[in-house]
Amino acid sequence: MKRLENLKDSGDKAFVAYIMAGDGGLDKLRGQVEYLQATGVTAIEIGIPFSDPVADGPVIEEAGNRALAEGVTLNKVLLEMKNWDFDLKIPLIVMTYLNPVIRYGAERFAESCREAGVSAVIIPDLPFEHQQLVEPYLKKTGITLIQLVTLTTTENRLEDILGAAEGFVYAVTVTGITGVRDELTQEVKEFMKTVRSKSPVPVYAGFGISRLEHIELLREDVDGFIVGSAIVKAFHDNKIENIEPLIHAVTQRNPV
Amino acid sequence: MTKVKICGLQELEHVRAASTADAAGFVFAPSRRRISIEQAAALAAELPESVEKIGVFVNAGLDEVLEAVQKVPLSMVQLHGDETDDFIRSIPVKVVQAFSVRDIEDVKKLERSIADFVLVDAPGIDFRGGSGRTFDWSLLGGASIDPERLIVAGGLDAVNVGQAINSLAPYMVDVSSGVETEGNKDADKIKIFIKTVKGDSMQQTTGTVKETGFFGRFGGQFVPETLMKAVKELEAAYTEAKDDADFQADYHKYLKEYVGREQPLTYAARLTEAWGGPKVYLKREDLNHTGAHKINNAIGQALLAIRMGKRKIVAETGAGQHGVATATICALLDLECVVFMGEEDIRRQQLNVFRMKLLGAKVESVTKGSATLKDAVNEALRYWVTNVEDTHYLIGSALGPHPFPTMVRDFQSVIGRETREQILDKEGRLPDVILACVGGGSNAIGMFHPFVEDESVRLIGVEAAGEGVDTARHAATLTKGTEGVLHGAYMKLLQDENGQVQEAHSISAGLDYPGVGPEHVHLEDIGRVEYKAVTDEEALASVIKLSRLEGIIPALESAHAVAEAEKTAAAMGSDEILIICVSGRGDKDMATYAEKLEGLA
Ligand SMILES: Cc1ncc(COP(=O)(O)O)c(C=O)c1O
Repeated sequence: MKRLENLKDSGDKAFVAYIMAGDGGLDKLRGQVEYLQATGVTAIEIGIPFSDPVADGPVIEEAGNRALAEGVTLNKVLLEMKNWDFDLKIPLIVMTYLNPVIRYGAERFAESCREAGVSAVIIPDLPFEHQQLVEPYLKKTGITLIQLVTLTTTENRLEDILGAAEGFVYAVTVTGITGVRDELTQEVKEFMKTVRSKSPVPVYAGFGISRLEHIELLREDVDGFIVGSAIVKAFHDNKIENIEPLIHAVTQRNPV
Repeated sequence: MTKVKICGLQELEHVRAASTADAAGFVFAPSRRRISIEQAAALAAELPESVEKIGVFVNAGLDEVLEAVQKVPLSMVQLHGDETDDFIRSIPVKVVQAFSVRDIEDVKKLERSIADFVLVDAPGIDFRGGSGRTFDWSLLGGASIDPERLIVAGGLDAVNVGQAINSLAPYMVDVSSGVETEGNKDADKIKIFIKTVKGDSMQQTTGTVKETGFFGRFGGQFVPETLMKAVKELEAAYTEAKDDADFQADYHKYLKEYVGREQPLTYAARLTEAWGGPKVYLKREDLNHTGAHKINNAIGQALLAIRMGKRKIVAETGAGQHGVATATICALLDLECVVFMGEEDIRRQQLNVFRMKLLGAKVESVTKGSATLKDAVNEALRYWVTNVEDTHYLIGSALGPHPFPTMVRDFQSVIGRETREQILDKEGRLPDVILACVGGGSNAIGMFHPFVEDESVRLIGVEAAGEGVDTARHAATLTKGTEGVLHGAYMKLLQDENGQVQEAHSISAGLDYPGVGPEHVHLEDIGRVEYKAVTDEEALASVIKLSRLEGIIPALESAHAVAEAEKTAAAMGSDEILIICVSGRGDKDMATYAEKLEGLA
């Protein structure tokens, strides 16, 4: 995760790609990660499917349902990752809802994440006040729990959350759920400026980022972008190469 | 924290009781606790993934051990014989090597073990000293064994385990006969042992349980960050409104003038006679405007929303009763109303869908998942996340993130408060038993809350057993569920071993939910309220009984409470008093009744 802070210092922007583990079968995951790494993404967020993903829009929910239908579980994903022997140069982040973690056991989850080479974890329905449920175990194994801030996060709360942030902070660009969006509001730009001025770690914008215009709008106010639904959809449609311009628009300072 | 292993499991009931332990032991060595690989596989399938499955062997062949590892499957192997280091190395999972420690020579052997863990088996130890054999712990004190590798077994029970942990701080404690009664495992003893060692499982999280919002260790505010502001604002607004005389006066005015409260506590003479036991009284929530208790809560929350400056309401509904109550109150108070309802429920409850539309609400069909209440809540939450600045989520039961469970309970407590006054008035004393059905748990908590401090009053919540609690088709969350987080609260859930929430099933759409309000889970946990489950069939039979004996056609949900009341009454005397909460009337269920009870003579 230290690497992400170095990236920030160098002025380059980060691109974090989200994929749903096991959409199309768990044996696809490895290839997807290798592909994204080769395309030049900064980090990869690996989503664990859940029966009730209330923070997600239809694209990710449907991908999750397809993965569940394939029998994908948290345990299987972590085991799969543990067995990878290719050269992995970028951080892997696990994104999961809280319930599978509780059922698996928070302590064991932290341990298995470590064995699987996971650098950070995102749990969207684990708010700041309840993080003691999981965070101490992650800390013990050297894994970062990523903090989320949103347009509705109040000022005092923002200070508290940013005070605890490590790795990067996930700044949610919409008041809503994940999904492909047409437009982002000007309000978002102001929000990103505020967060960035207060954050001790890089600020990455996520939720709804799917177009070059979104990147252009926020480029100067954030340290990176997290793209989910657009990638999940592209993989599902077998058109992942269509995403490359979006990735390069972020990672290559002067895209050709 | 020290881990717990329950060893020598043979029956499903005990395996379930052990599901909150860290490890379960299956004995393959000759012993009265011996089971076959097939039996162990069937039992292991009932355990969450987080529980280690340990096979116990004494000088078995490698083939047998490997077969068990693969077929059960086992995550660890425990060896009690004279197995060699090569044997240990050939086992593909973690190995526990057991030693009987009597003297310093035994300690030396134990120190040389190459196994991942060493288990000290000290049969006949008496930690309290006095009678029996006392084990010389100082032998181990000098041993160079990493406590992180140490498992302690032999003679442990809930009474002495604390001392064993204090003196040795082992990685794990292993119990078998200490959780048995007359040579058989005892589910209650297993649970008590686990609790004794682990304390509250959420105690590990002290500090998260900040201030309010938890009932014991259940509840909380497990929502995405986008909703935290709304949840906190609601908490503040409700705290303030609760103590505001004007707000309370307004709320009670609507209950009286619009809903038609107070509702009678009707003496059920013919039911009393038919059951031949206690005097039976019925609390008549069926007489409320819109036909159920749901309106008590809808009015309270709608008034609060207006107070907060929100004029848009989103709600979920299962049976449609809460949707109708919400649509009704939105019409009355001129609020915009969107109701999410599962496609399957829309089909089952046509009449209520039409009522909502007639009242001016927008009914959104949810086709995802099981297309029932759980999925409707998911969609309502997503809608709320997206429109949180001007919309109030008017949740229909004592569920969701804090402050919803408390607030809904308070708005429904009018049921219990009235009942208490009425029974004191009629009988001059408190009742002996009160029953209410439990879906999310709002009518039950509203009825129970004013009686919780009265220890003489037995409180019974009745869940839906659907086609039977031992089938896959039921909604008996308290009876069969396990702890987890859904829709904002830490509670009990119907879920699989991977934490995926399962579908609930009940003939009654209003009980068809795979979770249950956190306060109920707490009341069960501390043993204050009993929870029973009643099948579809039993509920239908009670519909007929109440209709014919008292001229009251109950809602299917309420009929569950009636069915359990009949069983409870059978063991009660004529000088006792039993009260049933009739949470709603049966109009909405008439199509189901016509279909299921067709040919009724
Ligand atoms: C008449 C009636 N009773 C009971 C319930 C169950 O809800 P709760 O457990 O919140 O009281 C419902 C739900 O729709 C209902 O309509």
